[in-house]
Amino acid sequence: MRHRFSVEIKKQLPGFALDVSWTAGDGVAVLFGPSGAGKTLTLQCLAGLIRPDAGRVVIDDRVLFDAAAGVNLPPQQRRVGYVFQSYALFPHLTVAGNVGFGLRDRSRSERERRVAEVLERLDLGGLADRRPSELSGGQRQRVALGRALAIDPALLLLDEPLSALDAPLRRALRDELRSILSGWGTAAVLVTHDFTEAYRLADRIIVYENGRVIQAAPRSELLWQPASEAVARVMGLRNVLHGVVVKSMPDRIQIAWRGHTLEAVNSPTRTYLPPPETPIAFFIRPEYVRLVRKDRSLDAAHHMNRMRGTVVGETDFGTVWSLRLRLDTPGEPVQGDFDLEVEVPHLVYEILEIDRDRQWDFSIHRGSIHVLPT
Amino acid sequence: MSLDAASALGLSIRVAIAATVLNALIGIPLAYLLARRSFRGRALVDLVVTLPLVLPPTVTGYYLIVLLGRRGWLGGPVYALTGWSVAFTWYAAVIAATVMALPLLVRTARAAIESVDRELEKAAFTLGRSEWRTALEVTLPLARNGIVAGLVLAFARALGEFGATLMLAGNIPGKTTTVPLAIYTAVQTGEMNEAILLVLALTALSCLVLVLAGRLGARAT
Repeated sequence: MRHRFSVEIKKQLPGFALDVSWTAGDGVAVLFGPSGAGKTLTLQCLAGLIRPDAGRVVIDDRVLFDAAAGVNLPPQQRRVGYVFQSYALFPHLTVAGNVGFGLRDRSRSERERRVAEVLERLDLGGLADRRPSELSGGQRQRVALGRALAIDPALLLLDEPLSALDAPLRRALRDELRSILSGWGTAAVLVTHDFTEAYRLADRIIVYENGRVIQAAPRSELLWQPASEAVARVMGLRNVLHGVVVKSMPDRIQIAWRGHTLEAVNSPTRTYLPPPETPIAFFIRPEYVRLVRKDRSLDAAHHMNRMRGTVVGETDFGTVWSLRLRLDTPGEPVQGDFDLEVEVPHLVYEILEIDRDRQWDFSIHRGSIHVLPT
Repeated sequence: MSLDAASALGLSIRVAIAATVLNALIGIPLAYLLARRSFRGRALVDLVVTLPLVLPPTVTGYYLIVLLGRRGWLGGPVYALTGWSVAFTWYAAVIAATVMALPLLVRTARAAIESVDRELEKAAFTLGRSEWRTALEVTLPLARNGIVAGLVLAFARALGEFGATLMLAGNIPGKTTTVPLAIYTAVQTGEMNEAILLVLALTALSCLVLVLAGRLGARAT
């Protein structure tokens, strides 16, 4: 079944204003952004638990809310499944009681059949008579999912569904959740502030910041072409830098930065041709900066955007080291006491003896310099 | 045990049970409303319900006379119409005990209801339950321990009610003389054996109630 929903919500709270508008379709839409950006508030508006001041919410041609037309379906009539951050399982009911809670209007036999079916599909078969307090974190999550899915919702909402779990379980359940969601085929909106989680679970990512949507795009587009500096910062991207356009062509952009002229690939899907002298933001992923080995002859074709710098600081992250490089060109460093953060694998750090040798040539492939149009 | 003592004990138990039932009927919905709804006059309702907890029982009793007595705001018209007044009947003892016990139930039950996670109620809404059904199926069952504790307190309070009962129901042997009133009368008239008997009976009854309540509470968790 093809799903289509559009969301337009305005809500004024003391000290916070939500004003968002986005659309999504089949699969999982992830609302991604920092805490307090309005993601959970949006979910509550979708579920009918909070009434927006203005806007319109339509799911598969069904109008759930329309301020102008005076439509506001109560949560009971929305057929929207909600998986709460804390799971909100009813502690006084069994697993079967929880999963069957939304099926009250069905006959007893049909309810039992549906509960058994849901428990089976979610691999909870043997736990029907347990209480939530007797379950592990992962089982609770599946019960919460099952309870919301049992009503065959038009839309499934998940609020930080993995945040109640500890790290190793979190990774495993992230992938399990993905397969459950795709297996079930229900359109879903999921909230998270963790980009890896957003990327793993999303088909489409909607980036929230301070009550507004700053980008809505398929997940790979967001990863490789963040729309703006604000999006890059919300994503936690490092080495977000500012330069000046030297020359722009449909496939390349040259940028003057810290005494160098860097060459970057222009976005293939955007026709962004800023005139010379335009200030421009861009970012360089630290793991894509390549150190030039001194013990090998230089293959110039392999190394573009070459620069020289000094390691002025470093942090040991176990399997990788983060180096802070200061360019040798004159002028103030742009990120505090350094210009560029570079990430190298632990092994490379040891082989190159970076702890002793602090002066390095390095290069950046033009495909690894990402322009951020404003 | 003398006939009077036995009838006092029987009356006390009847009054306390009736007052507890009335408390449950009035107090639990009231506690829910105070915990979960905001409405005009909520603070006033809270104040009026709580007042008997801090006022001297005789003052509460006096207000009850003003309200329900033969010339009271409510009692007056009823008397004029029917020639009957609730004052000095065993119903009056029930009303006095109910009013005195109500704040104990309402406060305890309200705190228990407020401590129920609101997300559970929201979850019930998204699963199709009305607020009314949610209260019955989620909120009140989860607040059960607190509500039971409140009912036990209310029962114990009703059993021991003295001042307000004396004001509104009087001290009519066999009719409105509950155990606390009978103890007072016995001590005043020097019938110490009777007094001791009733004191022990009331103590035993109170202990029984507390033990039963403890069992109930333990089972509910």
